[in-house]
Amino acid sequence: MAGTPILSINGLRFAYGDILAVDGVTAEVPAGRIGLVGANGAGKTTLLKLLLGVLKPAAGTIKVLGHPIPRQTLEVRSRVGWMPESDCLPPDQTAADFIGYAAELGGLPVRAARQRASDILGLVGLHEERFRYMDGFSTGMKQRAKLAQAIVHDPDLVLLDEPTAGLDPEGREEMLDLVRRLDDFGINAVISSHVLTDIESTCDWVVMLDGGKVLRSGPLTALSTPDVAELEIIGDMEAVAREAQSMGAAVEIGSDALTLSMPGGDPFTVARDAVVAAGAAFRRLGVKRTTLEDVFMAGSEDDG
Amino acid sequence: MAEGVVFDLGYAPHDGPRLGRSGARRALLRDGLRRVLGLRRKARRKIFPVLLVTIAVIPALFFVAFGVIAGEFDATATLFGHSDYFDLTGSMALIFIALASSELLIPDRVHGTMSVYSSRPLTTVDYLTGRATALLFVVFGFLWLPHIVLFIGRAWVSSGGFGDYVTDNFPVVWETALASFVYFIGYASVAFLIAAFSSRTSVAAGTYLGVMTLSGPITESLVEAGFPALGLGALQHHPGYVKDWILDDSTRTWIPEQAGIEPITSLLVIVVLSLATGLVVAGRYRRAG
Repeated sequence: MAGTPILSINGLRFAYGDILAVDGVTAEVPAGRIGLVGANGAGKTTLLKLLLGVLKPAAGTIKVLGHPIPRQTLEVRSRVGWMPESDCLPPDQTAADFIGYAAELGGLPVRAARQRASDILGLVGLHEERFRYMDGFSTGMKQRAKLAQAIVHDPDLVLLDEPTAGLDPEGREEMLDLVRRLDDFGINAVISSHVLTDIESTCDWVVMLDGGKVLRSGPLTALSTPDVAELEIIGDMEAVAREAQSMGAAVEIGSDALTLSMPGGDPFTVARDAVVAAGAAFRRLGVKRTTLEDVFMAGSEDDG
Repeated sequence: MAEGVVFDLGYAPHDGPRLGRSGARRALLRDGLRRVLGLRRKARRKIFPVLLVTIAVIPALFFVAFGVIAGEFDATATLFGHSDYFDLTGSMALIFIALASSELLIPDRVHGTMSVYSSRPLTTVDYLTGRATALLFVVFGFLWLPHIVLFIGRAWVSSGGFGDYVTDNFPVVWETALASFVYFIGYASVAFLIAAFSSRTSVAAGTYLGVMTLSGPITESLVEAGFPALGLGALQHHPGYVKDWILDDSTRTWIPEQAGIEPITSLLVIVVLSLATGLVVAGRYRRAG
């Protein structure tokens, strides 16, 4: 892993009474946009609260940006932003006042806080609404204001808990665009979501949680398997499969595609030769791409 | 439909100083003051604080004006001495604390703003201390300001001269300051306790006012029925009794006094109650995470 990890978690455990919410989590996570995925109740929010030092772990160690938690919780909080899933906006304050206040709470001097509040509200698309009381905000505007309060003090890391919750498709895409842009701002992000496609489209590293345990932690690019070809055929798919098998390839026949691997050989050459031999044609040929859902489902089944 | 327009002015990192925990504490205090006074809030939030401060200061200004016009301030001819003045402002402070303490604590919990505080360099104790200090500043000012107006006014029109009056009567300044502080501690601790466990500001304020005002007649009946120790439960009367002790005056017969309880015991009740409620409230907020 290149560079200093932004998160180092080792043997982390936390329980709400008898319910084990985080069960021996160990992960080392690099800088960038990190997806934290898992079903509802997988322990995502609990893990984020442990990273913030809001909850105290029963066992294990955590380092955030190199600072141990809970020993240096306040140092970490000076450099971290948090966008909770639930509401956090006072309805009787204007967006400009509250975001400015959030910046001051993050340690910025008053004048800088005011200026940054104005800048950040513009950046998240709330410039026109900055002097409106937030009780009149729509869900989309509230999500933007929540993101603004999380990044207004220019943190090194921001923890986003379900940032697209409650948004319509257009609002969701705009929020994901903002999340993608955090990289340009020099802000690392941990994005918690149960929507796997959101994570796929925004993150470059993924930590999968299931039942409080880590199913997988690694770069998203590792999900592609370059030694497996996936092909869609115009013609007789079964004939192509037979030809490929006769050339020594391992073949899986799906509902509309074949996957083909060739131990010690090039699966793409085999695919070409098999298609020619069967008198068929390609509709599509590419590297088999494993989706987060595939990995998650496979991991869950193994675990079960 | 899109919710807003992104004005892409680029992102400028903050290169200036970071004030850390101390900056966060000061921000919290400023926010508490604004919230108690209704500043940067809708107009209706400002009405009550402004009204209350006005009502508290007007009698003092009236007596000063009266003294200026008459050329001499006759303390015995005025209706309100320093001790009496507390009986007027003390009741108003009770109502003010009821509303302000719930306004300081409850909306943060109900609207989820606590999660913002928990992501900033602040501890639970920082948060509660900031809120209490904001209330202290306003209530203390509200209680003490009229005495300062009265004191300066009397000094101004004194036939002995301003300097002599100030020198001779200076203890009144710190005595009234101390009494104001005692009123704040005596009243605010219970208000914070109730606000920490309520989810509606009106219910919390009503419960607090009920507990405080009913504690008087109930304990009075019990004291008269032969249970003098229960005079300790007259929550609203302890600050007034201690105030009379500090100012060496007696504006009325307080229930603890009627029960034969010493003023120092009333002061101890106030201190113990504030420590106990402080611990309970801190525990409640720590558990809530």
